[in-house]
Amino acid sequence: MNCHQCSTNKQKKCHVSLKYPQNRDKWQEYPLRIALVGMPNVGKSALFNSLTDNYVVVSNYPGTTVEITQGKLQLGSDYFCLIDTPGIYSLVPISEEEKVARNLLLTTSLDLIIHVIDAKNLRHNLSLSLELLEAKLPLILALNMMDEVEDLGLRLNQDLLEKQLGVPVVPIAATEGLGITLLKRRIMLYVTALGLSSSHRDSNYRDRIAII
Amino acid sequence: MVYPVPIETAITEIESLLSESNCWGIAPSLSKRSIALLILQKDPTLWEILHKYPQQYQAIQKVVNQTQNQFSEPISSAIALSRQQIALNLEEETIIEPIQEKILLSEWWHKLTVYPLTGLPILLLILYLGVYKFVGQFGAGTLVDTIEGFFEEVINPTVNQLTNQLIPWPILQDLIAHDYGIITLGIRYAVAIVLPVVGTYFLMFSLLEDSGYLPRLSLMLDRLFKSIGLSGRAVIPIILGLGCDTMATLVTRTLETKRERLITVFLLALSIPCAAQWGVILGLLSHYPSALMIWGLIIFLIFLVVGYITDKMLPGNKANFYISLPPLRLPIFKNILKKTYLRMKWYFWEIIPIFMFASVLLWLGHLTGLFEVIIQGLQPITKILGLPPQAAPIFLYGFFRRDYGAAGLFDLQHQGFLNGNQLLVAAVVLTLFLPCIAQLQIMLKEQGIKVSLLIVCFVFPFAFSLGYIVNSLLTNLGINL
Repeated sequence: MNCHQCSTNKQKKCHVSLKYPQNRDKWQEYPLRIALVGMPNVGKSALFNSLTDNYVVVSNYPGTTVEITQGKLQLGSDYFCLIDTPGIYSLVPISEEEKVARNLLLTTSLDLIIHVIDAKNLRHNLSLSLELLEAKLPLILALNMMDEVEDLGLRLNQDLLEKQLGVPVVPIAATEGLGITLLKRRIMLYVTALGLSSSHRDSNYRDRIAII
Repeated sequence: MVYPVPIETAITEIESLLSESNCWGIAPSLSKRSIALLILQKDPTLWEILHKYPQQYQAIQKVVNQTQNQFSEPISSAIALSRQQIALNLEEETIIEPIQEKILLSEWWHKLTVYPLTGLPILLLILYLGVYKFVGQFGAGTLVDTIEGFFEEVINPTVNQLTNQLIPWPILQDLIAHDYGIITLGIRYAVAIVLPVVGTYFLMFSLLEDSGYLPRLSLMLDRLFKSIGLSGRAVIPIILGLGCDTMATLVTRTLETKRERLITVFLLALSIPCAAQWGVILGLLSHYPSALMIWGLIIFLIFLVVGYITDKMLPGNKANFYISLPPLRLPIFKNILKKTYLRMKWYFWEIIPIFMFASVLLWLGHLTGLFEVIIQGLQPITKILGLPPQAAPIFLYGFFRRDYGAAGLFDLQHQGFLNGNQLLVAAVVLTLFLPCIAQLQIMLKEQGIKVSLLIVCFVFPFAFSLGYIVNSLLTNLGINL
């Protein structure tokens, strides 16, 4: 399928429906897509619940989420399609549900990826961040479980981390509802700063594809 | 970020090879560098796509081999090590540790649950309080009796009366009311017998889920599971299967190897009863404690033995076990309630139409006389199993839905048709019996039609044979429960 040869306006629709035919109405309805990505059991689903009206099952063990869920994220008067994913340890998948998340990253053009991290365990979680940064994916780091960091008596130098990584870093505690407003604000800043719109994103995407 | 020099060189070479044919469009969202790194880490999907570009494939293959020769360990390890080092440095720079290390209470709890000396008694305590007392006695006993009683004393007579008045034809009356009506049987089974049991189970399960106990249980049981070819990771789908096998079959996706997934799906279909089944059985057998223990022992032994044999028969390697242990946390009550409500809602909307449909089928069966014919056909089987002829419909129900069969068993027992021995035999056969339709659907999706058919063809005769064995043993040994 050579997309450049597709003469009609169908080009936009083609990319959108490439790998994820289910819930296609959500794709069209809210063309800007934000995905929650991170290692298993870091709080992606908990964050998904606090950012959308949906509810996905949240448990305290890795492997709770096994499929992709979409929800509506409202920021001010704008709406985004928020996507919850199964956890991955690295971009090279190990189990079936990791493949699901990985394929989303590989084949769908996302406007923003919120990389959810267990702040208590930076040394483990940051290796995935490095992979995502290498891939030049648009990233915001959400440092979750900050309440537990405090319980342990630790403190985080957020500015230094932000400087070193070069991406926005937002400390949150999803189950307590802390930091969510700040996260939403930084998402909006990011989206407007990059002047992102669905046509902008799709033309970028088009330029990177030759033959599939 | 910089990797060891040979790897950086390889990355540059692969990037240029990919640019040549423009085939780095294989993963358009990622940067070229990232794709090159994934290729070096032997990512299976990307390599498969590379096959389409034979020239680049060969050239890249050469680069990878040359690079690998410069390392004693796999390239993936070298890459991972570099990343880990940078991550570690970042953490040391940005996290400020306190002067004195804080030891949390949860650390103490963690040790208690993981080491078998204290862990096993804790597990037994959870089984006794959570499973036996809460689901068995409260759920399947008190709750079911109360709601069932309400149906028998209030709802059923009212429905019978109303239908007799509103609908003049007895045939149609039978559809809604009387013995096999949609409301008097179908909805009663669903609301009075199945839902209280499933609800109490999911309440207890949600508590375990949110506390962080389950991964620790996986750790403790890993050794046991290794003996049947599974790793501790399979503990979670299996315990979920004790609530609903359909959900559990879906969760087998989290298992690493195809082999593990197959063994787990098979065991889920054969010897893991869902909450509706074992909850009702627990409630019924609580009057015959020795029968209850024998039933539990039989099912557990079958689980181990069949698992062991399947493990030996299937080619392939054993699974590895790794799991990140989350901290033990106090469950958030709101989340537990929400989860239980959601799961019950899902379950409810699944069984109500099916149970109603079953009632319609039964009604048709009675009307056409087909029901009696099938029951006649099942009579010899029930006779061999030492069961009364009234037990024959149970297997018809169980063929349709596990929980429907269990509810039928409940009815039969309350009508006084089964003695202790017969209850045990019926319980064993019903537990081992076929998976329900929903589970079969998911099984087909996850494992394919060949595997699913094989499993069904094994389970069906196996369940009956075992019932026969149990019955013969009981009669020959002269045991009366």
